[in-house]
Amino acid sequence: MKKGTADTSSNIGAMKRRSVLKGMGGLGLGLAAAGSGFLASRRDAAAAESLNYMCWEGYNAPSILEPFQKSKDASISIDLITDSAGGFAKLAAGASRDFDLVSSDSPWIQRMGPAGFCRYIDEADFADQFAEFYPQFRAPFAPLAFEGKATGLPTRWGWVGPTVNTKFDKLETWSSYAPVFDSAYKDKICLLDWGDWPIMPLALYAGINPYEELDDAALEEVRKVLRAAFKNTRAIVADLAVAQKGLIDGSFRALIGGGTYATSALRMKGHDYIQSIVPEPKNGLKQGIIWMEATGLIDNGKNSQIAADFLKYIVSPDVAKQLAITEATCNLVPNSKAEALFSEEEKKALQMDYMWTAWDNSQFHTVAPNIDDMLAIWQEELAAR
Amino acid sequence: MRIERKSWNDPVFVATVAPLALVMVAFFLVPLLMTAVLTFQTTQYYRLVWTWDLKIWTEVFSKPHYWTIMMRTVAMALICVVLTVLIAFPAAYALATRLKTFKTQIQILIIFAFLTDAVLKTFGWILILDKNGVANWLLMHLGFPPEMLNLLFTPTGTMIGMVYNLVAYPMFTIYLSLVRIDRDLMLAAYDAGASRIRTFFEVTLPLSRPGLYSGAVLVFVLSLGAFLEPKVLGGGTSPLASELIRQSFETRVNWPLGAALTMVLITIGALMLAACAAFVLRRPSTGRRPA
Amino acid sequence: MASPIIDASGIVKDYGTARALHGVSLQIGTGEFVALVGPSGCGKTTLLKILAGFEEPTGGHLQIQGRDMRGVPAASRPTRMVFQKLALFPHKTVAENIGFPLKLQKVGKTEANGRIRAMLDLMHLKPDYLERYPAQLSGGEQQRVALARALVSQPGVLLLDEPMSALDAKLKKSLQAELKKLHRELGTSFVLVTHDLEEAMMLADRICVMRSGHVVQVGTPADIYYRPANMFVAGFIGETNFLPVTASAAGDGMAVVSPLVAVGKTTIASEHVSPSLSAKGTALLVRPETIRFVKGDAAPGEWVLDGHVEEYFIKGASTQYRVRVHGLDNAVILDLPGSIVLPAAVGEAVRIGFDPTQAFLLSE
Repeated sequence: MKKGTADTSSNIGAMKRRSVLKGMGGLGLGLAAAGSGFLASRRDAAAAESLNYMCWEGYNAPSILEPFQKSKDASISIDLITDSAGGFAKLAAGASRDFDLVSSDSPWIQRMGPAGFCRYIDEADFADQFAEFYPQFRAPFAPLAFEGKATGLPTRWGWVGPTVNTKFDKLETWSSYAPVFDSAYKDKICLLDWGDWPIMPLALYAGINPYEELDDAALEEVRKVLRAAFKNTRAIVADLAVAQKGLIDGSFRALIGGGTYATSALRMKGHDYIQSIVPEPKNGLKQGIIWMEATGLIDNGKNSQIAADFLKYIVSPDVAKQLAITEATCNLVPNSKAEALFSEEEKKALQMDYMWTAWDNSQFHTVAPNIDDMLAIWQEELAAR
Repeated sequence: MRIERKSWNDPVFVATVAPLALVMVAFFLVPLLMTAVLTFQTTQYYRLVWTWDLKIWTEVFSKPHYWTIMMRTVAMALICVVLTVLIAFPAAYALATRLKTFKTQIQILIIFAFLTDAVLKTFGWILILDKNGVANWLLMHLGFPPEMLNLLFTPTGTMIGMVYNLVAYPMFTIYLSLVRIDRDLMLAAYDAGASRIRTFFEVTLPLSRPGLYSGAVLVFVLSLGAFLEPKVLGGGTSPLASELIRQSFETRVNWPLGAALTMVLITIGALMLAACAAFVLRRPSTGRRPA
Repeated sequence: MASPIIDASGIVKDYGTARALHGVSLQIGTGEFVALVGPSGCGKTTLLKILAGFEEPTGGHLQIQGRDMRGVPAASRPTRMVFQKLALFPHKTVAENIGFPLKLQKVGKTEANGRIRAMLDLMHLKPDYLERYPAQLSGGEQQRVALARALVSQPGVLLLDEPMSALDAKLKKSLQAELKKLHRELGTSFVLVTHDLEEAMMLADRICVMRSGHVVQVGTPADIYYRPANMFVAGFIGETNFLPVTASAAGDGMAVVSPLVAVGKTTIASEHVSPSLSAKGTALLVRPETIRFVKGDAAPGEWVLDGHVEEYFIKGASTQYRVRVHGLDNAVILDLPGSIVLPAAVGEAVRIGFDPTQAFLLSE
């Protein structure tokens, strides 16, 4: 999931610097990847063992890292991802030699197996962990498997659907994405500018399953639905805080392309009238999307045991609970034992009573075969606005 | 000033120039060359494939939307240059010539505003420009209809943010030019029979051209790379080149495309600067005739 | 003066609490060349700026060509200024610089070009300089362009604010000569501010010596040199000697007594007495060229002092001796005609003598 977080500095802040050579950032990424080898080797001296960890925000919370560092006498170096595809590209540029562990969106973790960045894990080694998971996440867990071999363990999850302020709208209104295109909602819709995330739900509404191979006719349908949505949309916002502000004050009636990732932190802070739901299936096509983050072991030739230890650690009930409730976002975790550790408020914030309804009405987010075509269409339609 | 003809055979000259040349090559030319090389490659499954073909350039030249965004970026940059200069000049003029009592305090405030993180400043504008923001609140209390302005998530909002974030650059450069003008020159103009306004246009303005031009160039170049303002204040209504480039690199993981768009932007910017330079150098501003 | 072009009376200028001019009065005749002279801070530049219209006087009256100048901006005055640092517009060509006042007066192109050409000729500048920029000219050429710009609109009064202070001595001399010639040819009134009295004496018809915001003396160069109002004016011209004396009225002259001289009493004719003589600090001004070494007997009426040679300087045409005389604070200076045989060596005891009736009686 995700792009923007409530902490503005992690998304825009990380790449806010203006420059004509802005595009060089990508190139810099490659150079940074090459350079990070030096950094990694220097950090070794401090602790007995070191762990280079590429992850999304939340995984880097001191309350998660510090107990592990102490108990294993290890030092963990963090490299934060601001874009799942970008993180993948960085590994592809050669950084996979320097990292031991990666936490990212599940489709990307899944791809890292066949791409040769991640070690396949023997699910038997993690039998104790899988045993604690909800049945939906138990081995063999297809969404993270490639040709039957698992690439990582699921670590956080949620669903993508309209995020609604129930002070202004009834939830029933959003049992379909129809209001996105309704002139009554003109200039009241906010699309989250998070790569493929806003595209997928709109494609589903158009009757296209974006997770299947698409022909030109289907892509044309995606184009039409994006164009129609853009026409009615007030803003396409990358920053979660901005989107949330508009949602709370009613200038946005719904956020599209987010979901629980955009909701739960607000609910945690007492805005329990903000909810993310999953629309009803439309013509037999499930309209919701389940997103999941997973953690995989990077194949850097070291076969690091401590990375595997961390993988077990990060899914253990106590740590999973920490990971679920962070400063910026709150998310569900696959470990069922963690459920008992949540307070009633936390459960409510995470909309736990709704999670299996959402699960049942959702697609599972994977790397769509035609995602680049769809992103190109998004760019084109945005330019034509 | 006499410029001595230096020879590459002169070891001292080479030794003094070499480090700078190396830095330039290492941190400017090589990355630029790498970017150019990148445009002839392709990506497959999010990995770079070394192919050496024109696929990306075909794509760039066949898709009009890239050019729509490039042209919009240039147009926004030019508008931003005009607006920042129009705001900066009177401010710098007042600071350099009129304001005496609170000059230092105002300068310190400007520097503080300039040094404040651009992200914070830009997000601050949301609170001002929003439908229920400070601007509309003020206007409403002044008797205007409620929610009169709709500036947030519009190209105008983007422009306001860009102008605000960049206006300090020409303010500094113009100020420096203005304070360097010998006051006797203005007296000489008065003495020759010029009014204050005439003196401004005959003496002050032409002599502040170095600051004016350098400020304009700074704003133009920085505007071409404007990234934050369209993202935060534009709301997807005014996508500009740097966001397009970022999307290409990061979201689409299409490095050759991002590199090609970067080259296009750099080329447009360089060509426009060259055209401006040719125009500006028609007349020397310091009295030295171009060779 | 029949009809002065400039009539300043009782001009007062205050900067905050500091008073720069204490009621200065000065009349300048049409076509006259007047120099304002004095040490820095004497108020000469302030007075010039008031004439130009760059400063408003705090008090007093100023008329130029019979018009009251109160509230009249520089642009509307019949005066033009040549600035100390010339203030040529660096972004304008020589032609544009010179033609600037004409452009402002909306003089037609053809006429303006003709007048610019004429100025160029007058200033001995080559025609191909017209398209050059000031930075491409030498210091002397810039000077001429500045003069041309000031003169092109045929002003009633040309104000010159130490325009030659930045030039080297040789160039200065030639420009001074040209300036004098220019003045004679044009008949325009010139007001020159300078701290160099020698320059003022060379150029001006009349000199106004100023000190601490007051006019000390106004007069022709001869007046200033031969009949200085007081020791300040006399000392400003160059190194000279003052012999303290006591003076009392005697007939139509003054009876003068010096305790330092053996026969220390003589009578000075009234034309050798300063008109503004006061009782305080009376002294005889004895010019260095009027003193001689006395070998043998003194001439009748000659005053003789004993001393010893402190130092001498061979200056070519003359040789300067400094003689230390007991009872005088400063060494006495003698300018003797140059000679291959030196009349005295350093440390040698000498007698010096001069004719007191040819000296000039003045006071502090």
